[in-house]
Amino acid sequence: MIKLYMRRISLFTAAFLVVSLFSSFIFPVYASSSEPEHVKLRICNWEEYIDIGGWDEDELIELDDGEVIGENSMIEDFEEWYYETYGIIADVEYSTFGTNEDLYNMLTLGDVYDLVCPSEYMNMKLITEDRLVPLSEEFFDESNENNYYIRGISPYIRNILDGQEINGQAWSEYMAGYMWGITGIVYNPEMVSEEDASTWTILTNPEYRHKVTIKDNVRDAYFAAVGAIKRDLLLSEDFKNDPDYSVKLEAEMNDTTPETIQAAQDYLQRVRDNAYSFETDSGKADMVTGKVLANYQWSGDAVYSMDQAEEDDLILNFAVPEESTNIYFDGWVMLKSGIGTDKAKQHAAEAFINFVSRPDNVVRNMYFVGYTSVISGGDDPLIFEYADWCYGAEEDAEETVDYSLDYFFSEDKDGEEYIISAEPEQLDRQLAAQYPSIDMMERSSIMTYFNEEKNEVINNMWIKVRCYNIYNTPVWAWIAGIAAAVVLIYLFIHGRRTKKYYKYKNDQKLIQ
Amino acid sequence: MPMLKIPFTRKALAIPYAVFLLLFVAAPLVVLFYYAFTNGKGQFTFDNLTGFFSDPNTLGTLLYSFAVALAATAVCLLIAYPTAYFLSKLHLGNKTSVLLIFILPMWINFSLRITALKEILTMIEGNLADFQFINAVIGMTYDFLPFMILPIFNTISKLDGSLLEAARDLGATRSQAFFRVTLPLSMPGVISGVMMVFLPAMTNYVVLDMLYNSTYIMGSLIGSYFAAYNWHGGSMIALILLAIIGIFTLLGQNGSEQEDSRGGALL
Repeated sequence: MIKLYMRRISLFTAAFLVVSLFSSFIFPVYASSSEPEHVKLRICNWEEYIDIGGWDEDELIELDDGEVIGENSMIEDFEEWYYETYGIIADVEYSTFGTNEDLYNMLTLGDVYDLVCPSEYMNMKLITEDRLVPLSEEFFDESNENNYYIRGISPYIRNILDGQEINGQAWSEYMAGYMWGITGIVYNPEMVSEEDASTWTILTNPEYRHKVTIKDNVRDAYFAAVGAIKRDLLLSEDFKNDPDYSVKLEAEMNDTTPETIQAAQDYLQRVRDNAYSFETDSGKADMVTGKVLANYQWSGDAVYSMDQAEEDDLILNFAVPEESTNIYFDGWVMLKSGIGTDKAKQHAAEAFINFVSRPDNVVRNMYFVGYTSVISGGDDPLIFEYADWCYGAEEDAEETVDYSLDYFFSEDKDGEEYIISAEPEQLDRQLAAQYPSIDMMERSSIMTYFNEEKNEVINNMWIKVRCYNIYNTPVWAWIAGIAAAVVLIYLFIHGRRTKKYYKYKNDQKLIQ
Repeated sequence: MPMLKIPFTRKALAIPYAVFLLLFVAAPLVVLFYYAFTNGKGQFTFDNLTGFFSDPNTLGTLLYSFAVALAATAVCLLIAYPTAYFLSKLHLGNKTSVLLIFILPMWINFSLRITALKEILTMIEGNLADFQFINAVIGMTYDFLPFMILPIFNTISKLDGSLLEAARDLGATRSQAFFRVTLPLSMPGVISGVMMVFLPAMTNYVVLDMLYNSTYIMGSLIGSYFAAYNWHGGSMIALILLAIIGIFTLLGQNGSEQEDSRGGALL
C-alpha cells in the first residue's frame, strides 16, 4: 500500500535525466496561459500517497458523525468540488515521484510543477534556494469555511511548523503539512525484547547479527548513528531534566561537527557488518518471512508492516528508541517555476491543500495510505472518531488502558477529551505508531536541513561506509586477482591463434 | 522507358538511426563529458578524475566490482562451456529446442528470478548476509549464464567436423583433439561470452541490492553520487567505466584484425 521508496536513483534514471536535460534545450517548456474559467494545476506527490477511490462497499467507514468511503479518486473529487465551490474548472495533472532526491533532480532538469509534497528537509532546501511561493494570507484566514487546513491542523503540529525557522522564515510560511510520523524499530516480540528494540544500538547488537535491517538512506542512517553514539549523554538524568531539554536534544541530534560525522561513519561501518541489509522496501516482507527480527522504519510504514504481519498471524511490535526519534513531515509547497505570479493557479493550489485537509478526505487518505495526517480536524470530531474506530478496544475487551491524544487533538493542554480506550498491547503496536504517545513525542527531534557543505560531507561519509576500502584487501585476494588477470590476458592473446583457422576457412571457400 | 525515380537514396534509410544515435548516444555523451570535467561552478577541472584515482573507497569499489565480475565470469565459463559443448555434440534433430531450455529462464522478468533465487539461497544458506560476496557471484551467474552459453554453443556447432576427423586420423587422442583443435577454435565464442558477462556484471547493482549485498559496486556508486546531487563525480565514474569497457572491446577486436592481416600476408 505504501511505498516511500528512498531508493537512490538508478543508473537508468540517471541516463534518462541526462537525455531529458538535452531535450529540454530543444523543446522548452512553455507556461500555459490560463483562462479565467480554466486553471491547470500540476501536482507531484509521493507514489501511492493519496486515495485513488474505488473502495468496496464493505470498506465503508461508519463513524458517529458520518460515513466515509472513497468512490472516486481524490483528484476527481477535488475537480468537482472546485467547480461547485468556485465555478472554475481545474484540470489537475497528477504525477508522482519516488524519492525526495528524484524530485529535486526532476525540478533541476526543468520539469515544471505547481504543487509538490516532499519531506521537510527537501522543502527547506527549496526555501533556501528561493524556489517557493509563500502561502497567501487568505490561506491562513480561519474565518473562511473552506480553509479546512488552517481550521483543522493539529495544534501540536502547527506549533512545530510555526516554531521551526530557516533563514529567519517560519516553515509554515511556505509549507502546509500533509502527513507526519516518527522513526522507530519494528520487531518481533517473540525473539527480541522490548528493551533491546528501544534503542538505536540494536543495529550493532551482536545478539541480532545479520538479523536487523536499516534504511538505505543517508539521513535516516545518520540520525540513528548519532542517537547511538550519543546514547550515554542523551539518557543521562542531567540531560533529560534540563529545562531546555527539547532544544538541546535537537541540537545534539543535528550535530554535524567533523568529530561526530567521523564517529557516525565508524558506527555505521559497524552497522554494515552487523546488519542484514540496507533495505529500501524489502524490510516489511522480510519481517513477515522471518528473515529479520527487527527493522528500522518510518511509523507510517510500521503500521502497514504490523497490519500485513497480522494477516499472516505474526505479531509485530513497534518501539521508539529511548535516545531520540526523528519526527518528519511531508508537506505541500508551491513552486515559483510553476505558479509564478499566477493568482488563479495559486488559488487552485491552496484550495487543493484545503480539500485534502477536509476531515472526511483526511480519513480517506489515512485509510488508503496508512500514514498519519497532520490534520486533527479542529471542531470536527471525525478524525478522532476514525482513530478510535481503528484502535479503540471492542466493547467486550477484558482489559483496556486509556491512551490520551490530547496533545495532538486539543489546544487545551489540560483537557481530558481525546482518550482512546485501547487494548493494552496496542500501546506497543499500530496505535503507538499511528499516534505516538506524548512521552514518545517528548524525545522526538526534528532533523534540520544541513547546508550544502555539510550535506556533501555527510553524503561522502555515507558513500565511504558503503564502499569497499582498497586497503582492506587481503594479500591472498591480491594474488588471486593478479593470477586471474594473467589468465585473462593469456586467453586474449591465445584467442588470436585461432584466427588463422578462420582465415584459412574463408580462403578455402573463396577457392571453391 | 522512363526510370522510376525514387526521391531518396539508400543513404536516407540511415537517417532515423542517425537521429537516434545523435539524440540518445552522442548528445548524452557530450553532456556526460561536460559534467565529468567541470565542477559545481561550471569550471573546467580534472579534480573528478584525480579524485577517483586517489580515493581508496572508489578504487576499492572498482576492485570489488572487478572481483565480483571476474568470479561470476569464471563460474559462468565453467558451467557454460561443458554445457555448450555437449549440447552441440548432441545427436538430436533439433538442437535449438534443447538450447531453448537454457534460454527459457531469460524470458522471465529478472527481478522475479532474483526474488526466487533469494528464497532458494535463504533455504540453503540460512542467512543471506553471511555470504554476501558469494551471493553476488551466484546472482550474477544466474542472471548472465545464457549470455555465455549462446556464443560458445554457436561457435562449437559451426566448427568444421572434418578438422576433428583429421586430428584423430593423424593419431591424436580424444582429449588431445579437444585441447588442440576444438578448444582453441571455440575461443572467439568464449571471448564474446566473457565480454557479454563480465561488463554487465561490473555494474548490475540491482542484483546485489536484491540479494542484500551492502557493498557498492560501480553501478551503485554512480547512483549514489547522483542521489547526492554530485553529478560531476557521478559522470566521471560513468566515463571511467565507459573507458574500461572501451579498452576491453578494443582488446577483443584488435586481436582479430591483426590476425586477419597477418593471415593475408601468409598466403
